[in-house]
Amino acid sequence: MTTATLDAPTGGPARPPTAYHLTQRRVIRSEWTKLRSLRSTLFALLAAVVFVIGLGTLISWAQASHWSQASLRDRLTFDPTNVSLSGLFLAQLAIGVLGVLMFSGEYGTGMIRATLSAVPRRLPVLWAKVLVFGAVTFVLMTISSFVAFLAGQEVLSSQHIQTSLSQPGVLRAVIGGGLYLLVVALLGIALGALLRSTAGGIATLFGLLLVVPLIVHFLPESWSNAISPYLPSSAGQSILAVVHDPTLLSPWPGFLLFCGYAAAALAGATVVLLRRDA
Amino acid sequence: MIEARGLTKRYGDKTAVSELNFTVQPGIVTGFLGPNGSGKSTTMRMIVGLDRPSAGSVRVGGKDYRDFAAPLCEVGALLEARSVHTGRSGYNHLLALAQTHGIPARRVAEVIELVGLQDVARKRAGGFSLGMGQRLGIASALLGDPGTLILDEPVNGLDPEGIRWIRTLLKGLAAEGRTVLVSSHLMSEMALTAEHLIVIGRGRLIADTSVADFVGRASGNVVRVRTPQADQLRDRLLSADVTVRADGGGVIEVTGLSSERIGEAAAAAGIVLHELTPQQASLEEAFMDLTYDAVEFHGGTPPGDHRPPGDQSPNSDQSPNSGPTSIGAKA
Repeated sequence: MTTATLDAPTGGPARPPTAYHLTQRRVIRSEWTKLRSLRSTLFALLAAVVFVIGLGTLISWAQASHWSQASLRDRLTFDPTNVSLSGLFLAQLAIGVLGVLMFSGEYGTGMIRATLSAVPRRLPVLWAKVLVFGAVTFVLMTISSFVAFLAGQEVLSSQHIQTSLSQPGVLRAVIGGGLYLLVVALLGIALGALLRSTAGGIATLFGLLLVVPLIVHFLPESWSNAISPYLPSSAGQSILAVVHDPTLLSPWPGFLLFCGYAAAALAGATVVLLRRDA
Repeated sequence: MIEARGLTKRYGDKTAVSELNFTVQPGIVTGFLGPNGSGKSTTMRMIVGLDRPSAGSVRVGGKDYRDFAAPLCEVGALLEARSVHTGRSGYNHLLALAQTHGIPARRVAEVIELVGLQDVARKRAGGFSLGMGQRLGIASALLGDPGTLILDEPVNGLDPEGIRWIRTLLKGLAAEGRTVLVSSHLMSEMALTAEHLIVIGRGRLIADTSVADFVGRASGNVVRVRTPQADQLRDRLLSADVTVRADGGGVIEVTGLSSERIGEAAAAAGIVLHELTPQQASLEEAFMDLTYDAVEFHGGTPPGDHRPPGDQSPNSDQSPNSGPTSIGAKA
């Protein structure tokens, strides 16, 4: 505590050293501290890593061991990269939930009041969460993708059906694993800020990624074929395909569209964050 | 210094805070009183920019809270509901807040020690007792060593030792020249801590006055007299400005005369007095009296039961000389 300094008649005690003030960088550092200091976050990230590597390897093993019984059609469309990365589809649950919790966890516990009193302009908090959780997700999940790919190819090589990073499109798909989950994370953050509720955010995110495609599937085929490639899930997952799938957009345009969905959600989040009372 | 000018907050068609005007001065503890639901918390949330006023403004040191380069070093806030992630340790909670401003970890350790949480600071805040949670909230309010402190019901959940600690702390902070605004619905607590009072009811300002004045105004100068010659004394005292009420058993209550005057009148007439006591309404009674009409949810008690004895016309006797009159209460 400072000692009594009554010389300033209205301002109260000694002014704080000018070194103490808000900067975007400091808010980022604060968000990093928040991220690493929650045990549940660390467990969920660990789970995501295990899902990507473990499930990818397991499914590669299953494919290899049943290769002799595979139909000709299956053999022709077999995508060894995609198979080894199949754990990403489970990991997106962990990443998506964590993304939603970035904000909804703070609204739920009341932490948001402390956060927004410290950063009353609010948007630096959104950017810091995007940057910190986005970077952590991208780095961890890209590394996991590579490990899953290498382990998967190792398993598939028993049937000589493996591929390698030097094949066209393979490197893009493996890095795409990290990119896809990065955008899932951003969608989650945006939905958490928009809806403020964990249940609502998670339901919306996975409704969008998992349920909407199912519903579209029930539409008349000409409709579903027209709509399906543009859904967030298919658009995002197009970056993971190496063997061309006619129901998907090409990798980069598809992925850009997926980014567009996330950008729109983030734009909505900025408006809500600035306008609504905390 | 906190200044509210025409501060108004509406939620839909419900008005939580209505055209509040007040100034909180540095150097003293100012109590912010009001029944539950009167708009205290909403006002405090507007001070730190969590809620946006529907009209009017509230400024700290002449500035909008959002415009401060170092908000935590200007205003420290303890808000009513807990503002801590339950899964994070107290230390990391404070560290994350400190880091937004570049406040060093050394200061975090300092405030933890100041509020006496050294032993539990590394444990999850979710396991904290109500009192520990309050202490953690106070630690985060003090983190930036701010010139202004606003605390919403800080004694909630504290044990007697903790209550005394916070009373001393607040007085000390004010003595250092800080602006300290403390809300409470516990009048007795305010009587011991605050020097100045801002009283609101149903979102409107009821009083902005010193504690002594607030109590004085509501007690209505009643003096209790016990004498075997009650009738004689009454005849002596009665005049246009003086009312006397007999309670029976030789006790009368005199309104409109000081105890000195009554004593002198009795001596002059040779009347024996057994008791001569000026009646002070407690802050609690004064508060009940002033805010009765402004309480949102009533129990079954009629208003008369809250009033100090002898006070026959509680809302008409407010002198216009100090603070605003009770517009809100009757309107």
